[in-house]
Amino acid sequence: MKIIASYNIKGGVGKTATAVNLAYLSAREGYRTLIWDLDPQGAATYYFRVKPKVKGGTKALVSGHQDLDDLVKGTDFERLDLLPADFSYRNMDLLLEDNKRPTKQLQKLLAPMAIAYDYVFLDCPPSISLVSENVFRASHALLVPMIPTTLSARTLAQLQDFLEGHDGLGKTNLMPFFSMVDRRKHLHLHLMESLPQSFPSFLKTSIPYATEVERMGITRMPLPAYAPSSNPVTRAYEALWQEIKAGIKGSAMWATAG
Amino acid sequence: MNEFDQAYLVPDGTDLQGIKDALEARCRIGEDEPRHLLRRFHDTFDWSLYLAGGVLEERIDGHQRVMMWRDLNDEVPVLACELDRDLGFAADLPPGPDTERLARLLGIRRLLPLLDVHSRILTWRLLNEDDKTIARLELEQNRYDDKARERQGPISTRLRLHAVKGYEADFRDTARLLNEELGLSLVRTELLLEALASAGRKPGDYSSQLNFRLDPDRRADATTKEILLHLLNTIEVNVPGTRDNLDSEFLHDLRVAVRRTRSALTQIKDVFAPDVVEQYKDAFGWIGEFTGPVRDLDVYLLDFNAYQACLPEPLRPHLEPLRDFIHAHYGEEQKNLVEHLDSKRFRDLLRDWRAFLEAPVPESSVVPNAMRPVMAVANDRIWTMYRRVRKEGRAMTPASPAEDMHELRKSCKKLRYLIEFFDSLYPKQEVRQLVKLLKVLLDNLGKFQDLAVQADHLREMAQRMRDEDRASTDTLLTMGILVGDLLEHQHRAREEFAEIFAGFDSDEHQGLFKSLFDAQKRQGKGA
Ligand SMILES: Nc1ncnc2c1ncn2[C@@H]1O[C@H](COP(=O)(O)OP(=O)(O)OP(=O)(O)O)[C@@H](O)[C@H]1O
Ligand SMILES: [Mg+2]
Repeated sequence: MKIIASYNIKGGVGKTATAVNLAYLSAREGYRTLIWDLDPQGAATYYFRVKPKVKGGTKALVSGHQDLDDLVKGTDFERLDLLPADFSYRNMDLLLEDNKRPTKQLQKLLAPMAIAYDYVFLDCPPSISLVSENVFRASHALLVPMIPTTLSARTLAQLQDFLEGHDGLGKTNLMPFFSMVDRRKHLHLHLMESLPQSFPSFLKTSIPYATEVERMGITRMPLPAYAPSSNPVTRAYEALWQEIKAGIKGSAMWATAG
Repeated sequence: MNEFDQAYLVPDGTDLQGIKDALEARCRIGEDEPRHLLRRFHDTFDWSLYLAGGVLEERIDGHQRVMMWRDLNDEVPVLACELDRDLGFAADLPPGPDTERLARLLGIRRLLPLLDVHSRILTWRLLNEDDKTIARLELEQNRYDDKARERQGPISTRLRLHAVKGYEADFRDTARLLNEELGLSLVRTELLLEALASAGRKPGDYSSQLNFRLDPDRRADATTKEILLHLLNTIEVNVPGTRDNLDSEFLHDLRVAVRRTRSALTQIKDVFAPDVVEQYKDAFGWIGEFTGPVRDLDVYLLDFNAYQACLPEPLRPHLEPLRDFIHAHYGEEQKNLVEHLDSKRFRDLLRDWRAFLEAPVPESSVVPNAMRPVMAVANDRIWTMYRRVRKEGRAMTPASPAEDMHELRKSCKKLRYLIEFFDSLYPKQEVRQLVKLLKVLLDNLGKFQDLAVQADHLREMAQRMRDEDRASTDTLLTMGILVGDLLEHQHRAREEFAEIFAGFDSDEHQGLFKSLFDAQKRQGKGA
């Protein structure tokens, strides 16, 4: 089982779109896939038409009193399951602190799912917190979608500082990539040239800005389920998925984590 | 069946729209495009998977092709994997730890298609207020297609209910609706069995085993006809498979049934008119002859790896030209075999023989054993043959010629067949013990003779390969080593004979034969 997180300190950069669409592609390819919506706002949960509710709330879940497997909902798509969001996730940080090893609790909770799933996607809320630290430790790949702006470049540097400053996080398999790219904007093009030079792990694929993506909120489906492969954004997500899979296989993390 | 996967039987004439309406009264329904599913069931010619309680399906669903091995009446597979090749022998199975178990069950036999079931599947998705799928129903309209027998027709429609994880309560609600309100009941018959029954076939409808329930007081001639009729059925069942050469076991079983037929004819003495016995003894001898060459080649091919394995490693590749040679001549021998099977003479023979066997026995007969109770005849024949085996075996010395060993083997075989024909007349356990004993003895005698024949044969093939310029010196030398090896094993079999025969001829076993066949004989006379 490989765990892939979609994360950025910033909001509204395409984290949820990434997690939902990649999870769908993974399942479509034949992998048993789980997506865990960690964001109390429950956007991913909404896209899959599932009620944002977790039996027993965050407390039962984080303490390990509630089997993760019992909370899982089948989506409308074969092999793709969802662990829904719950509004009480906003208190997750506090509840994590109550554990013996507060930064490794997520990893521990996910471990038993290894028999049932090949890939787990984590859709993360925008912030840097104990939840995110748990996510970093559990993940085999940390996807960071970013809009090509100068501010984004700074947050990526911040993230890297954070990882390097914490024990055992220096080797995190960081995979930034550009999202919502508008090729008409000069600044976008410029940053897309320069930024990857200082981040060797930057992914080659980027996701263009397109209104079809916004329609996910109306159709309440992953993009490739309603936009065929002839659509350039669908194609971009397909390419992104292949690149990520190859990146996970090739990484040194693969041998140690999970 | 899985707790959250249920299949309901939809009786003929059910109003399908009515089912849908009843569901729609509860919730919205999403309907997917109808799709087509093909299930091709496979088994070996002797139903080894079925007899082990299993079913092997090849499923073609859209562009997906999978193999599923499951228990009868159970939809959850023991093994499911994608299939990128045609099924055949164990070696053709996709590799993996689970397929190994299947491979062991198959042994040397080949998977053959039993029949197909075509399904047109209509999927209804039950939706909640968010249009989220909370359960799936698949209406499956089925037809069987028995290609080999050119039969096809409809079989029962099934409605399958699948749960969506996390919506088990909705699944239970729907199950209740189907069951209690619509009166549908769960399917109890395995799809394969239903399809076979509709095609007029019985699973396991072929067995080369003799399995009689004889009536000890019935006339010997009528009982012998019953035995021979079973053997004829076995011969006929195996003809198509032998002709198509799908598996060497067809020919093997055909030949065994032919040998048993000759044995029953000549060894259950004086139940039919002598000219009938003469005529058919020769006719079945003819079948034995024309089926021999292909069987010999089959034996070589089946044993080839074992042959190779007993050679020193560096020499093994030199034996490959022999395999090529066998393959090269195989086609020609098989063609010759098929011509015989398709000949008028062969067809007439089986037809006339069946007519004779199916005709009622004459009300009275002057043939000495015809009207005696079969039990008395069986006792006589087995006791006589046993004494012959004993006499010949006891006379054997290390200096006895090979022909004596061959004679003894023939007597032993006759004895074994007689006991097997009549085993239902005797206590099961004792008879089984005696047959086992005979098998050990026959195994030894068989080794002695067959290994010599094989060595001869190899020499002959080496000669032919040289004539056809198909063998290098290395190959010929390697074959020479093999001949030496075979003869050495043969020699060893000869040395082991005395001890094995002594085991057969122990006081205890003598007593057993006597109590079963001789004592009863005396009782029979007294009655
Ligand atoms: N490539 C794209 N082109 C156009 N719109 C996009 C694209 N990707 C995402 N969007 C839209 O941008 C908005 C934010 O996207 P998304 O929810 O995926 O981001 P997020 O990082 O998960 O946000 P949050 O931080 O609020 O969780 C959504 O309305 C989404 O439909
Ligand atoms: Mg989000």
